[in-house]
Amino acid sequence: MNALFEDFDEIAELAEGLDDASPGTRIMAVMELANSADPAAIAHLARAISDADAGVRKQAALALTAFDGPETAAALVSALTDSDPAVIEAAALSLTELKDPEAGDAILPHLGDTDTVKLTACFAGIKELRRTEAMGAAITALKHEDAGVRIGAVGVIGWLQDEGSLPALRDAAKDVDTNVRRTALAALGFSKSEHAEATLIAALNDPEWLVREAAAETLAKVGGAKCVTALRIALEDEFWQVRLKAVRSLGKMNAVEAALEIAPMMDLLIPNLRKECAAVLGEMAAPETRPYLEKYVDDTDPDVRKNVRWALGKIDAQ
Amino acid sequence: MPLAQTSTIVPVVIDDALCIADKGCTVCVDVCPLDVLRIVEGPDGSPVTAHMKYDECWYCMPCEADCPTGAVTVNLPFLLK
Ligand code: SF4
Ligand code: SF4
Repeated sequence: MNALFEDFDEIAELAEGLDDASPGTRIMAVMELANSADPAAIAHLARAISDADAGVRKQAALALTAFDGPETAAALVSALTDSDPAVIEAAALSLTELKDPEAGDAILPHLGDTDTVKLTACFAGIKELRRTEAMGAAITALKHEDAGVRIGAVGVIGWLQDEGSLPALRDAAKDVDTNVRRTALAALGFSKSEHAEATLIAALNDPEWLVREAAAETLAKVGGAKCVTALRIALEDEFWQVRLKAVRSLGKMNAVEAALEIAPMMDLLIPNLRKECAAVLGEMAAPETRPYLEKYVDDTDPDVRKNVRWALGKIDAQ
Repeated sequence: MPLAQTSTIVPVVIDDALCIADKGCTVCVDVCPLDVLRIVEGPDGSPVTAHMKYDECWYCMPCEADCPTGAVTVNLPFLLK
């Protein structure tokens, strides 16, 4: 008998457990089918996803993470309307593990679905598959009443990295929901356009610090003189988390002109911020920042003193 | 490592009614990084249920999270909650 038939027999044998009267035995069969890593198991797991027992269905949804492709995706999408929330959660999680773009074939027809949970899971699942056909549905979903759906839609648009979607992302950056705005700003990072830059700079004045933080972080990717000016202003944000991201971004952009504004921040009592400032000052290696760093060469915080010593070494190596 | 005296005072409790060790499951035993869980065997050597053999725990939780039937409960000490 050739190897293919032997494998087939083995999978068929394992699948027999799915017909056992005991749910425990069916769960074991599901786990063994997943462990086989044989694509022939997908069809059996797809059957188990509509088992009478919710525990078996949940295990089948989790087990499908071992596989990929349209058949796996179709089985997972079918589980998104399960009566048991635990099964839906497992299927939604497994959908995000898909990597094969062809798996999107089974998800695309559901991007106009009215079920909020299903729609959110489908957007999350198709995001990394980068299917351009999902763009239209994602842009439409930016007007969905549910913030989770809107975040999923922004995720899809962000992964597609299409300059044509910039107006949609700019609208999403003004969404009423904080997390939609944050996600939209992070998604703008792929673009080097003036529009993306202007949207990110404007977001540095958002009333929510989480949004300002996302804008400060993403500005490093966009680059440009205007971004440096805006980030220098953000160094005075009332939230240290925003200041930290502004420092980091200025470091990534090697904005040495901001070194003397970053250096005095070493005197603040926020260890994370001081650690970041020391690292960035080391990258900039501006000799005029040496006195600010020297004060902390024996700092009580080991991370701060490590970065300070490294930074002084970089300045000395100039 | 101290041997667990009874299965009721240890931090990890297995619901025997839910455990499917008798069907061949060993997930919790396999995922425990401290190797403190075991499968109880019947007189004929066949698996019966899982239990905590050693009274030692990192409260890292994969045994509870990965159990396919929800049979494992890790009782977190008050200070860790
Ligand atoms: S993982 Fe759960 S079902 Fe499996 S042996 Fe452990 S307690 Fe029993
Ligand atoms: S919580 Fe961690 S250490 Fe404790 S029994 Fe479970 S897996 Fe083992």
